[in-house]
Amino acid sequence: MTTPTDAAISITALRKTFGATTALDGLDLRVAPGEVHGFLGPNGSGKTTTIRVLLGLLRPDAGEVRMLGGDPWRDAVALHRRLTYVPGDVTLWPGITGGEVIDLLGRMHGGIDRRRRDELLEQFDLDPRKKARTYSKGNRQKVALVAALASDAELLLLDEPTAGLDPLMEAVFQRCIHDLKQQGRTVLLSSHILAEVEALCDRVSIIRLGRTVESGTLGELRHLTRTSIAVETAEPPQGIDALPGVHDLFVEDHHARFDVDTAELDAVVRRLAPLGVRSMTSTPPTLEELFLRHYGDEQSNGRKVVGS
Amino acid sequence: MTGTFGLLRFLLRRERLGLPWWLLGATLLVLIQSTQSQSLYGTPQALARLRDTIGANTAVIAMSGPTELLSALGGEIVFEIFAYVAIVVALMNMFLVGRHTRADEESGRAELIRSARVGRHAPLVAALALAGLADVAVGALVFAVSAGTGLPLAGSVLFGAAVTGLGWVFATLTAVAVQVFENTRAAYGAVALVLGAAYVFRAIGDVGDGAVSWASPIGWGQRTLPYADDRWWPLLLPLLTAALLGAAAVGLLAHRDFGAGLVPPRPGRATASRWLRDPYALAWRLQRGTLIGWTAGLVLLGVAYGSLGDSMEQYVRENPQIADFLPGGADDVVNSYLAVTAGMAALLASAFGVASLLRVRGEESSGRAERVLAMPVSRLTWLAAQLSVPVLGSAVMLIAFGLGEGVAYGMTVSDAGQVPRLIGVTLTYLPAVWLVIAVAALAIGWVPQPAAIVAWVVIAYCVVVTMFAESFDLPDWAQWPSPFTHIPRVPLADFAVSPLLVTVLVAAVGVAAGYAGLRRRDVGT
Repeated sequence: MTTPTDAAISITALRKTFGATTALDGLDLRVAPGEVHGFLGPNGSGKTTTIRVLLGLLRPDAGEVRMLGGDPWRDAVALHRRLTYVPGDVTLWPGITGGEVIDLLGRMHGGIDRRRRDELLEQFDLDPRKKARTYSKGNRQKVALVAALASDAELLLLDEPTAGLDPLMEAVFQRCIHDLKQQGRTVLLSSHILAEVEALCDRVSIIRLGRTVESGTLGELRHLTRTSIAVETAEPPQGIDALPGVHDLFVEDHHARFDVDTAELDAVVRRLAPLGVRSMTSTPPTLEELFLRHYGDEQSNGRKVVGS
Repeated sequence: MTGTFGLLRFLLRRERLGLPWWLLGATLLVLIQSTQSQSLYGTPQALARLRDTIGANTAVIAMSGPTELLSALGGEIVFEIFAYVAIVVALMNMFLVGRHTRADEESGRAELIRSARVGRHAPLVAALALAGLADVAVGALVFAVSAGTGLPLAGSVLFGAAVTGLGWVFATLTAVAVQVFENTRAAYGAVALVLGAAYVFRAIGDVGDGAVSWASPIGWGQRTLPYADDRWWPLLLPLLTAALLGAAAVGLLAHRDFGAGLVPPRPGRATASRWLRDPYALAWRLQRGTLIGWTAGLVLLGVAYGSLGDSMEQYVRENPQIADFLPGGADDVVNSYLAVTAGMAALLASAFGVASLLRVRGEESSGRAERVLAMPVSRLTWLAAQLSVPVLGSAVMLIAFGLGEGVAYGMTVSDAGQVPRLIGVTLTYLPAVWLVIAVAALAIGWVPQPAAIVAWVVIAYCVVVTMFAESFDLPDWAQWPSPFTHIPRVPLADFAVSPLLVTVLVAAVGVAAGYAGLRRRDVGT
């Protein structure tokens, strides 16, 4: 779809080790301009390391990293003018108020839109007059979010930005990202919250142990997973077990429950139709299921994952 | 109170690396003073001469203690060292209690502990028990060192007990302060203020008729008059005060919420002031308080030393042994003295500079460096901003010291010209300070993990070389690496510009090399 040169972020075979620990082990990531890209992975899988490489804070050991047409390590300052960043664990200077931090960061970025800033403060319900040491985790997070969202950066690197927010604030955040998408800005959103990713992201990359295991649109990824089917037929449902891609079949009288690889769904439905379908519910695969399959070592050993 | 004992064991474990250094520091102060005083004033005649000189010198009394102590050799030791031991012990107690109460509450560690089967009062009581035990240890060590160096037993017990009592006062005072203020910084500020007031009150009292000294915990300790008069009853004052303060702390704890103080925090600015716009402004803003504190301290130290300058000549004439400690011997006493004090000011400025620059590491490990470096800010700008505070701040500090010393000394000799002269003298040592800071920058660039250790070892080495080279007869090669060795020891020696330029040049190379290291390494490790 996108060639490396016009991608907002293009990472190929990135490796980074810290002493004996391998944090990134050949990671690939492509983010097209204007897309909101979900970046999923369990704790310690290398999401934060990847973002810190993109920020030019860490020097890659091997692999190629391009961002907005530049080299994140060499062209850090020029690139930082065009991006903004929200870390997952926001630490601030304890003796300085939230309002001061937002202004300082905004000015370092080249100016701050006062109206937008005040709007965001109100939306996120943040008191800017409190010293940073008295903020809770969620409030520190809001300080960083307001500072980032008030800037006019074309690329946003968000590292689990909503980890400390309550559901109400989560909704505010999603609205803000939605607006950014309308404006054609690019967002790399690392997150654990799958509902958030499903609601916001165009494409998703899943990493595990420093390596990319899946990447694609949500639709494409769903294709690789299973759909749960519960069906009641006029004739007893027989012969389903012989179909490829059917798992965990449970039959009782005229009822059948099973999971089917989404790629084989069509063949299964064709086989069911002649039996006289009285009712059928199908549960689409959730991202969560996909997630668990890649992360839960035990589960993924049992069921073979398609792709990757 | 459930869980107090378990917590105390845990606290002892957390302190096992830090606490011994405090104990060692207090012990060494007494040990050095005891051996030095015994060799200087070991005879009754020497002691009598000292009494005559010092008994009339207001400045010395204001810095040390009541002259009643000078009737015995042991008392002379208490006179000279007690106030310093008091400061060390008070700070030790402040940090011990503050760290394990309010600081833990602020970081959220205490929440974890309190959620376990631990009573509401257990953390406070455990912290007080820890400090109380540490104070007993300090008292025992002071006794051991005093008695061990040949001082009378009864006086040594009293000396040790006075130190322990003072420690208990400051432990319980800190316990109250951490209930009142909702952050550790403010609590420490309040305790430090009381400590400063205690020092000033006893100074005023000791210079006058002694009445005001009774308002000071330091005064209580000194006025037990160990060795001189061995009075035991003033020990009741710290005991009573500590009991009252401890009870107050426990009572206040029950009247506040977890994490809150009795004084609510004042709201700050909603928007940043106009000048807070770049990493430089941020660095200065963050260190504003520290800078003001150090500068004020150095002005006061300058005044203290300056006021003694004129009497040095008489003092050394009457106590000729002192001359061995002065680089110029007995010939040029005042200038030797001024050179030594300027060197001490420079060492203090170096300590400030290193502490200030090492904040770079704190910024990195806390993730705050990341916040700035993710902005369009180059590593060069970031480092330069962090360097600007120690580099310029150390100059401010030396000027402050020179100003204080110049004003005080100028007044005693009626010569306003001493002000610019002594500012010039003190500033001569600035290149050496910068070189020490440059070494810290080099360490931060290339060996970030042990950078703090490297930098403080360098400082300790410079202190030994600068202060004790004469006493220890250090060989030249052992002194050569210290930048202070290469600075002309004005006003004793003649001023020369080339060693200063060379030192500045070496410092600049060091900083550049440090930047080269920082530029190529990962940030935040």
